[in-house]
This record gives sequence, structure tokens and C-alpha cells, in this order.
Amino acid sequence: MSIKIALAGNPNCGKTTLFNALTGSNQFVGNWPGVTVEKKEGKLKGHKDITIVDLPGIYSLSPYTLEEVVARNYLINEKPDAIINIVDGTNIERNLYLSTQLMELGIPVVMAINMMDVVHKSGDKIYINELSKKLGCEVVEISALKGTGIKEASEKAVKLAKEKNKSIPIHEFTPVLESVLNSVEAKIGFDVSEEQRRFFAIKLLEKDEKILSQMKQVPNIEEEINYIENEMDDDTESIITNERYLYISSIIKDCYKKTNKEKMSVSDKIDKIVTNRFLALPIFALVMFGVYYVAVTSVGTIATDWANDGVFGDGWNLFGLAIPSIPSIFESLLNAVGCVEWLKGLIIDGIVAGVGAVLGFVPQMLILFLFLAFLEACGYMARVAFIMDRLFRKFGLSGKSFIPMLIGTGCGVPGIMASRTIENDRDRKMTIMTTTFIPCTAKLPIIALIAGALFNGAWWVAPSAYFIGVLAIVCSGIILKKTKMFTGNPAPFVMELPAYHMPTFGNVMRSMWERGWSFIKKAGTVILLSTIVIWFSQNFGYSNGSFGMVDDMNDSILALFGGIIAPIFTPLGWGNWKSTVAAITGLIAKENVVGTFGVLYGFQEVAENGSEIWATLAKSMTTLSAYSFLVFNLLCAPCFAAIGAIKREMNNAKWFWFAIGYQTGLAYIVSLCIYQIGTLITTRHFGFGTVVAFIIVAAFLYMLFKPNKDGTTHQLKRNIKLQKQKI
Amino acid sequence: MMPLTMVKTGEPNIIKKVGGKDETRKFLESLGFVTGGLVTVVSEIGGNMIVNVKESRVAINKDMANKIIV
Repeated sequence: MSIKIALAGNPNCGKTTLFNALTGSNQFVGNWPGVTVEKKEGKLKGHKDITIVDLPGIYSLSPYTLEEVVARNYLINEKPDAIINIVDGTNIERNLYLSTQLMELGIPVVMAINMMDVVHKSGDKIYINELSKKLGCEVVEISALKGTGIKEASEKAVKLAKEKNKSIPIHEFTPVLESVLNSVEAKIGFDVSEEQRRFFAIKLLEKDEKILSQMKQVPNIEEEINYIENEMDDDTESIITNERYLYISSIIKDCYKKTNKEKMSVSDKIDKIVTNRFLALPIFALVMFGVYYVAVTSVGTIATDWANDGVFGDGWNLFGLAIPSIPSIFESLLNAVGCVEWLKGLIIDGIVAGVGAVLGFVPQMLILFLFLAFLEACGYMARVAFIMDRLFRKFGLSGKSFIPMLIGTGCGVPGIMASRTIENDRDRKMTIMTTTFIPCTAKLPIIALIAGALFNGAWWVAPSAYFIGVLAIVCSGIILKKTKMFTGNPAPFVMELPAYHMPTFGNVMRSMWERGWSFIKKAGTVILLSTIVIWFSQNFGYSNGSFGMVDDMNDSILALFGGIIAPIFTPLGWGNWKSTVAAITGLIAKENVVGTFGVLYGFQEVAENGSEIWATLAKSMTTLSAYSFLVFNLLCAPCFAAIGAIKREMNNAKWFWFAIGYQTGLAYIVSLCIYQIGTLITTRHFGFGTVVAFIIVAAFLYMLFKPNKDGTTHQLKRNIKLQKQKI
Repeated sequence: MMPLTMVKTGEPNIIKKVGGKDETRKFLESLGFVTGGLVTVVSEIGGNMIVNVKESRVAINKDMANKIIV
């Protein structure tokens, strides 16, 4: 017999830690159907037939957030055999608000009071026997972090699940409300099972439309609603909320003793400094500089160089022992088996080189993720979102968008994935669309190439690239908020800040690995496939009237294809097939642009900044067309790995194509304006392109400065439409 | 009666009313902002604030803080 146990609790109550402790490495991560809320399932350690489902962290079972709807739909429709309700022992009153709602669902509940070690240390007391009696459910003390009590909690849940006892909530509201609830329950039809009636009765009283739409027959309870609203002089939703808190404080009185009442907690003291209005930004800048310095500049560079030049380059040394590089291992292997030349080319120059180029970033990314996982787990990231919110709100993003962008300076893939922490759908989509405007590490070689070849290595080229990236984000934020797709007031910022604590080594490592692994997996699928396609189109084509492998890339399919679409880029100043092809191969991994130019200009191998081809490139491009090329590559659709991440995080084909289209479109018009207006200034040549550029600039400025109706008109229109539909 | 934004930091205050749209009000309530409950401002940056409510710290922005009347 298979048993399903759901884990439910507030955000930051230690749910994930408990889930990891219960299931070990036996996990399956996916999405809840239709939404990008993460779903985690796992088998209980030592029990193959017992599934643990990790529900999203929620504060209540109301229909207002996506997580709440997902969690309660699961609980009502799938009816797990038992619920383990994790309660933060240091914050028991607020946590019980959810618990009382879970107990109304008619599913056996085991309450696991977490962080008991912290509670004991502070001298507070929770009388669990008393609590268990009052709530009518099993209560277990645990510490998910230390691993105590976990076994007991899961055993109790399994036992309850096997007994199949329907739980009956024994908590009671005031007599008036109880009598009304009874009369509502009596009106509910037989489509609702006995044990779920109380839940449905409460939701009916709360006028919860999402629940109403799930019922086959909705009883008319207007009489009851009117009666209680008159009696208690409030709307039904508030009445029930208040009743819940009243009930909770009535039981807390006897079960919970707090010793240190007035003393400020350690977290409050840290917050006084870290979120201080004068110190917050300097401290934040210092932390970020530290992370960036270690993860990207110092240790990160060593790790990347080791991976790129060692593992995927010329081999490396381990304590004086020479270890050959992966390409050379493959080469000798293929030579040994007598592989045909073209297949060898495909495997070594195509697959190994392509996938290797991407995997080369893994060590650096892991270091970055390690830091970020630590900052997240200790509670600082939540404060960062709070500190940055005021600034980001000005251009239509939330403070929570900052973290993805920060990660995006390393690599866009985990940056896009980090957007998951943003609950608001609009803010999240906007963040996904704009994160990759920030130059990632793979775009740096392109910047170095252009700066070196055409600007004599001028100092301002690289900073200008970051500046353009930031500007693109800011302008996109402002403009997109005015479009119909992103209309509406920005979501209010409300976020619980977890108490500062030292994270466990295991949890930080796990979080780092989860992000890193999803990137590696992508390298093995999307990138693998695309490298094969590009390799074939590079090496096959028509020469001397027949189709086959070509020595000269000028004859390849890729050149043919590049030649066809190159005219599109003529208005941008680089409408030749070589630049076009370089931009296309940039889709595999951005630093490929440099390598492609090298191959196309007849060099076997070029340095990372392509210094060998500077002279040739300088001849074929002007400074303007080169800068336009650079800007296009910075802003356009990112590499395949990041495109894949966008697809997964958007989880919607329409939005995915909108994002890619927007990025590429923006890149195109910005590059066009730079080239055309630049040409006008330098050569006084005024043509059709110049007119187009000026029209674009005018339209852009109009969009940027037109007053934002703040979505009120759109909202109004929507309301009217809704009312019409009702009529 | 005044909005939470006017409150001095460190002083516990009793919540008199939670305003705003159903959606925001309900969310605030589930976080512990209920009429009759205590709320203490821990720190404040330009109207955005961190408050202590029912033993937990919650960050809220100015608009939200204005909807909580103490």
C-alpha cells in the first residue's frame, strides 16, 4: 500500500531542511501542474512505498497567492493520507494560524514543532502534551537542523495514515459563529465528503470564489452571512480571521511560557545595524564586492582557467602528476579505435569543444552559488531584497529582482532560475526578460575583442557595456510597465524576514549543487544538440558542384545561411556573412563569437580576446559598426542554455517567444540607432536609415516619458468587462 | 489613530485597523497583522520598514505600512 504524506508549514519554518532530512537524496523536483511553483517529492528513507510531498511554504489556506492555491488544491483534491505540519517553535502563535486551517481539512495531522533547540536555549517553554490535548492532534518536538525528533514525527504520521482515522477538528469558535457554521454545513450537498464539510462551510462563509467554483452545487447561505455580519458588525472573512487568532491566543496562554519578554532578540539587534538607513547600502555594497571579488575575479578566475585551459585545454597537474585534458583523452581514444576522420572532427571539434566551452564555467559558478546559498540560508538575502526594493520599485521591478541580476553577472542561466523566489508573476516575468541584459562572464571576451581590435583597448568600452546593460534593464522596466502585458500596480512588498542563523554545511552544499547540476544537465542536452547542428552546418556544404564535407568554411551551409540573412544586419553596419555567422554561433555560448571570427579569418586557434585577428577585424569593420555589433551581441537573445532556462521559467510558449523577441528586437533597434545616428555625426550622411533611427528614438522617448496611467484605466476596463460578463 | 509609518521605532503599538484591498488585508492578516495585536517597528528606511509582529520580523513597504492603523 502506498502512502502519501504532505509537509505543510509557513515559509522559513525549516520545512526544506526537514524534507531533506526525511528523504535524503531520494528526491524528485518538478513543477506543480500549470504553474512555476516548485514541487518536491521524495521517498521516506527506508520506506519505498511512502511518498513525502513538500508543499510550498504558506501562511494560510486563503486564495490570494499562487502557493496557497496550489497547496490547498492538492490537499483537497489529492487528499494525502496524513499531513506533517511544521511549526516554528520560536514563532508559535503566527504558525498556528495555518495549523488550525489544516486541521479543518479532515486529514490526520501530526504537528512537528521545529527549532526546539532554540526554544530551550532561550528558556521559553512549550507544553506539548497540553497543546496536543487542546488541538486534538499529535504534537512532536523536533529540530530539523540537528535531526532530533524527526523519526518520531514521521513514524507518527505513517501510523496515522495507516489507521485512516478521519480527523475531526476539536477547536471551536464562539457559539454564534459555531451555530452559523453548523447551519451552513447542513446545507452542503453530498458532493462534499463528511470530513471536508467544515472546511467547505468556512470557505463558503468567507465567500471564497475559487472554492465555490469547485463545488458541484453551491448552497444559498446569504441568510447566514447577513445574520453573522449584523451580529458581529464585520465582514465574514474578518470575523473568521479574528476568531482564529482569538482561539489561538486562548490555547497559547496555557501551553506557552515566554521568559524573556522585553529583551531584543539577536536578529533584531543585527537588523538594527544591517538595515540601518545609513549603513544598509555600504554594508550591502561591501558584501557584494566581497562575493564578486572571490567568486568572479580571484578564486573564480583560477577555477575557470583551470577548467578551460586545463581540463578542456592542454591538460593540468595534480600534485605534479600530469593529467591530460579531456579533448586529448578523447582524441587518443578515437585514434585507438581507428575512428573515421569526420566523426573524430564532430566529436572533438564539435561536441567536446562546444560542451566543454560551457562546462568550463561550472567551477566558477559553483563558487558563486556557494556564496549565494550561504547568504540565502543565513537570512541576509531577504534583507537585500528589502534594501533594494525602494530603488528597484522606481523602474517597475521589485527588490527581489536584484538577486537574479547579481547572479546574472556570472551566468545568465542560474540568474534566470533565481527569479523563482519572486512570488509576483509580473515581476518575475519582467526579471526573466531583463536579467540577461547584464553582461555575463561569457560576454567578456567579445567586449575584449571589440575593444582591442577597434578602440585600441580604450578603458571605457567594458564599463560602457555594463552601463548599456543596466540602462536596458531600467528602460525596459519603465516601458514594459506601461504596456498592457505588465499593467497594474506593482505588487506590495511584504516579506517575512527569517531569523539570522548559521546554516548547516549540508544545506548550503545541497542548494549550491542543485543550481549547478541543473546547469550541467542543460549543457548535456540543449547545448550538445546545438553544437552538433552547428558543426554539421560549418563543415558540410556545396563545393565543386557536390554536397559533402568542405575544407573552406566559405562553402559551408552556415556561410550560405549567413549570406542569406546578412542583409538584415546591413542597417546595423555589419551586414556581411562572417559577422552574421559569428553572432549565430554566439547563441551556443557567447564566447564562441571570438572563436568563430578566428576560424573565419583563417586562424586555427585564437587567444581568449582574439588578439591575432584584431588587425583583420579592424579592416572589415568601422568603429561604429563594431560597437553596434558589440551592443547587439550583448542585448540579443542569450545563449541556448539561457534560452532554455527562460523557456522553463516562463513555462508558457507565448511568454517565452515574447521574451526572446523582445530581447532580440531591442538589441536590433538599439544597434541600429547607434550605427545610423553615429554615421550621421561622423560622416554627415543622411539616409533612409537615419530617418528610421530618429523615429525609433522619438518613439522610445515617448514611451519612456509618457505618464504612466498606473494601470488604473486598464484595471477599470477590466472591471467593466468583468461586470459585463456577470450580467 | 495613525498609520504605522508615523510610529517611533522600538515602541510596541496595538493595531487598531488593517485597511487596503481584500487581497492585501487578508495577506497581512495571515502574517499576523490583526486588529488588537501588537506591532513594533524594528527599523525604517525611507518609509519602508521592518516590523516585529507575533514574534516574527516582516519587511513591508511604505504603501503597506500606511494601511496599518495603530
